[in-house]
Amino acid sequence: MLDVAIKKQFAANGRPSFALDAEFTANQGITVVFGASGSGKTTTLRSIAGMVTPDAGRISLGDAVYFDSTTRVNLSMQKRRVGFVFQDYLLFPHLTAAENVAYGAKAQNERARRQHATEMLKLVGVDHASDRRPDQLSGGEQQRVALARALASDPVILLLDEPLSAVDVQTRSRLLDEIVEVQRKTSIPFIYVTHSPADAVRIGDHLLLMADGRIVQQGKPLEIFNAPLNVPAAQVVGTENILVGRVAAHQPQEGISIIDLGRCRMVIPHSPLPEGSRVTLGIRAEDIIVSRERVSRTSARNLLAGTVKHLLRDEESVELVADCGVDLKVRITPQATQALELAPGVEIYLLIKANACRLLS
Amino acid sequence: MIWSAFKLSLLVVSVATVAITLVGTALAFVLARREFRAKEFLDSLVTLPMVLPPTVTGYYLILLLGRRGLLGRYIFALTGWTVAFTWEAAAIAAGTVALPLMVKSARAALESIDRRYELVSFSLGKSELETFFRVTLPLASRGILAGVVLSFARALGEFGATLMLAGNIQGKTQTMPLAIYEAFISGEDGRAQIMAVILTATSIAVIYLTNVLTRPPKAA
Repeated sequence: MLDVAIKKQFAANGRPSFALDAEFTANQGITVVFGASGSGKTTTLRSIAGMVTPDAGRISLGDAVYFDSTTRVNLSMQKRRVGFVFQDYLLFPHLTAAENVAYGAKAQNERARRQHATEMLKLVGVDHASDRRPDQLSGGEQQRVALARALASDPVILLLDEPLSAVDVQTRSRLLDEIVEVQRKTSIPFIYVTHSPADAVRIGDHLLLMADGRIVQQGKPLEIFNAPLNVPAAQVVGTENILVGRVAAHQPQEGISIIDLGRCRMVIPHSPLPEGSRVTLGIRAEDIIVSRERVSRTSARNLLAGTVKHLLRDEESVELVADCGVDLKVRITPQATQALELAPGVEIYLLIKANACRLLS
Repeated sequence: MIWSAFKLSLLVVSVATVAITLVGTALAFVLARREFRAKEFLDSLVTLPMVLPPTVTGYYLILLLGRRGLLGRYIFALTGWTVAFTWEAAAIAAGTVALPLMVKSARAALESIDRRYELVSFSLGKSELETFFRVTLPLASRGILAGVVLSFARALGEFGATLMLAGNIQGKTQTMPLAIYEAFISGEDGRAQIMAVILTATSIAVIYLTNVLTRPPKAA
């Protein structure tokens, strides 16, 4: 079990610029650290490996204390036995794939090291390329060799820093499955840093959500993506509408509460918060339905009248901003935009299920 | 005269080159990888012979190593030996003047390496020393070799500092550049010519070799 509680202050041009204040526990399986770039994911990972020294705190893995500012313990990288896989692989360019893996292999003699390297290359499925140099390997092969090299040194934990961001989509998908498989076979904990929600949900047994140098939420990946608990977490996982209001009324028998957002009201699932208390609501843009007519007899508890403010087309979808007293962002398909003849100034109705409105702390 | 000067030059330059390869690479590593207060001062001190007139460098070497010099007096007191007018003096002079080229090349080569290669090696349990020899040095080898070749050439052409510290004794401290000067002064133009051609050819070979070594490897 990895225990981390560290602080580190960074400065740029003599002024404090970024503060890392991370506290978490990682158990067996794959722990994904998810967050935007600059949120402190990599610094956290490097602190565990010993490449970065925190200002204060403690890092321990089981009985081994890696870092403790109170007892002045700071174990060298060599003694930590932490495997590290970089985003850009960093295979030694002057060595072949097999030599790269054998380099750090724990074994008595050269022959045993070679043997171990071959086994590791087999484990990750690149034993066919063992005599090639890194510049003769594809991105996916390089990443597999880097994985094999880290595992060959018999680490007690493996840290992966956005290991798949430089490989193509298909290879990425295959490698994700292979990383999970390798983790199950080696049964050492993996810490996997990524900013891809898809990767995080697919391979994570446990998710740490990072924002501004802090862990803002942790738990099961799908649960966090579906139900972020607070504003920073909602922002990280992509909640386009974050609205501030007050609890206006409760109707417990009907299982709803009503939130006053100033110029409109929103029905949400019943909440125990007292009337009048300030609340923050998160609504995903893709959870809102647009209609040109006033729809009746629908299960959506919120029907808001408004006008289209503007439409923003990106690669595959359209983001519509509607003024319904408050501005709401809605994600729809280009087809829907055409079929409904949506354009700025057009009057529309937005349908929002009560359950699509989440209370954030 | 030509043959003895050629042999002596070869001895002096070989010894100087081996010495500055070791010292220069170590100095370059310290300058490229360590942070300390006197770092830029050390860099300036090492670079100084590149800009000073060689005679001035030679003069300082006498102050340092001469029989009554800062260090020389102790060497003399302990061993009765003094560096003046020996081939070793010629090697020291050539080495001192060529050292900056070695340090500059090696430092640039070491600084151009992605430091994370070394971090990978540490994370695989390798010590700093093993990492240096098995990762850092191979990755910087082209730049270091270029430095060796350049400083070899500079040492081969050394004149001023050698004349100051070692003197101009035929068969003992008279290297090729000194022999050319003496041949020319005493009107033996033919000899001077032959030696000039030998030095020129060596220099061209060295420049060519440096270019080949520092050219980035072609992409596969």
